[in-house]
Amino acid sequence: MPDLSVEQFQTLSQQIYQKLGLHFDEKKIYFLKTRVAKRMTALGLDDPREYMFKLSYADPHGEEMQALANLVTTNETYMFREYDQLQAFANYCLPEVLSAKQARGERTLRIWSAGCSSGEEPYTLAMIVQDVFPQAQSWDCEIVATDIDENMLKRVAAARYGARSVADVPDEYRAKYLLEDGDEWIVRRRTTALVKARHLNLSDRMAMRAMRGFDFIFCRNVLIYFDDLSRKAVVDHFYNALNPASYVFLGHSESVGRVNTAFKLKRFENHLVYVKE
Amino acid sequence: MSTLKEFEEKLHGADEAERTYAAEDIGYLNVPDGVPPLLERLAQEPSLAVRAAIFQALIRIEADAAIEGSIELLGSEDPQIRNQAVDVLRRKGPQSIPFLKTVMREGDKDMRKLVLDVLSGMQAGNAGEIYAKALSDPDVNVVITAVENLGRMRAAEFRTRIEELMGTDSHPMLTGACLEALVEIGDESSLGAIRRRFPDLTSLPDFLLASYLKAMAALGSATEFGEVASLLPVRGPHLRPPILSALMAIYPHCPLLEPGETLLPALRAVVEDGDPPLCRYQAVRVLSFWAARDDVYAFLLSCLSSRERLVRLGAAESLSMTKRPGLAQVLAARALEESDEEVLQALAC
Repeated sequence: MPDLSVEQFQTLSQQIYQKLGLHFDEKKIYFLKTRVAKRMTALGLDDPREYMFKLSYADPHGEEMQALANLVTTNETYMFREYDQLQAFANYCLPEVLSAKQARGERTLRIWSAGCSSGEEPYTLAMIVQDVFPQAQSWDCEIVATDIDENMLKRVAAARYGARSVADVPDEYRAKYLLEDGDEWIVRRRTTALVKARHLNLSDRMAMRAMRGFDFIFCRNVLIYFDDLSRKAVVDHFYNALNPASYVFLGHSESVGRVNTAFKLKRFENHLVYVKE
Repeated sequence: MSTLKEFEEKLHGADEAERTYAAEDIGYLNVPDGVPPLLERLAQEPSLAVRAAIFQALIRIEADAAIEGSIELLGSEDPQIRNQAVDVLRRKGPQSIPFLKTVMREGDKDMRKLVLDVLSGMQAGNAGEIYAKALSDPDVNVVITAVENLGRMRAAEFRTRIEELMGTDSHPMLTGACLEALVEIGDESSLGAIRRRFPDLTSLPDFLLASYLKAMAALGSATEFGEVASLLPVRGPHLRPPILSALMAIYPHCPLLEPGETLLPALRAVVEDGDPPLCRYQAVRVLSFWAARDDVYAFLLSCLSSRERLVRLGAAESLSMTKRPGLAQVLAARALEESDEEVLQALAC
């Protein structure tokens, strides 16, 4: 395995942050080293400096960065993924938005799970909304789950998940919102009723313009697969899709501010979230 | 079908989203006539979101008008507009070079510096003329930026000129930039030039020493290894990372080097109380060069029980590269007590 120096690790993690928006701190030094080693072997390189040069200056179409991204990210999706972020949503952002709406006499709540894959995220959000805000059933409340892949949307509609998908669901949520069926788990009907699955290509600008009036957008670990320009365009659309004083959540280690300066960073105790003012 | 005129009207609408969409649509229209209305709107646009959409539209418009417009924006009073204009021009790639050459000839020092900011990160083969001029620029910031870019691009054709710039009694920031550039493009003659320029390491200020160490890491051999090693016990803790990095980089070029009397105790001291933890990790990794020695081997084994995970990680990586009989069993036994996922992976290698 190549001996990536600490300085090279720091430069590399900075580059990955700048290009992909993913943050790797020193706890991930071994993880990153092993992934870089794989890429270096594939490219026939034995000097980390050569690899870093390639990544920085000899990768005009971003192919190597994408190859590295594929190794350092995971396609795996499961319920209650990135729990910290969900806590910020449940404990701070959602109550804030709901009380503002109640004060204005509004009874609608719209959440968009963009790039929802097989549905674990929208159903997680649905469970949290029902738990934090039991009145949701009497409000006009919907979680719009969109994905480009029709097969994924079929899985959202089926709302059946294997043990791995539900492994991180807290017991009390599991008892309230899921039903065990053999070696699978089914999302209960009152929870699935909140989720509306739709086909949407995030790069289709006309279709994106039709997405308006949301209070929250979740688009976690999706944009890392977009090039810079497309990523900016998508986040700009998110900005327009949100109501004022609404929130966007990208992946835990992805930064909105890096892509769009119109969003403002807001702190809730230990949590940092992006808000459209 | 919507026309440019319709989009222009919407670009001045009251609704922020409508203005964003209008800018986006003009970008997709991709006609030179789309540039003036975008620039006109930009001058009065209060919304950051719409501004961002205008810049994206300028990127999408392939005509030279978008480049000319962006070059005008380099002169803006607003730093955000200047930065975004730099980004647009950078994305235009070689197409923008002829326009940048003109700015380099006729622009003031701020504009000349911005030209080099545009070129930064661009592999523009036809920018040689701009760089040749920049290296003789009367403004030191322009020269520094040019040297930094050339180093990063590994433009070896400018090596001799950069060695000359370092050799003169120049601005310390320029000297540092030259050292850093030679890290990337230097050769044996550069090593000689660096050593002539800095004959006495003890008097070298910290900020230059860090750059010097990087150059030694890239170009140094046995002589430099000894010199760099002698710095570890005597220079401040903030210099430990570049010293340790240099040792790690030089050793593989001359693998039979002995550590000398002071280096091993100094490395052990860093492992035991060095801060930040990454330094401790580096020190463990440097120790691994002499893992065949019984004392070092025993020390590395003891590191597997450190409370600091990066020390354990470094020790696991270092030991797993040695071929000691019975080591596999030792590592397997240690793995039973280890809970950190990454250390476990390293132990298993």
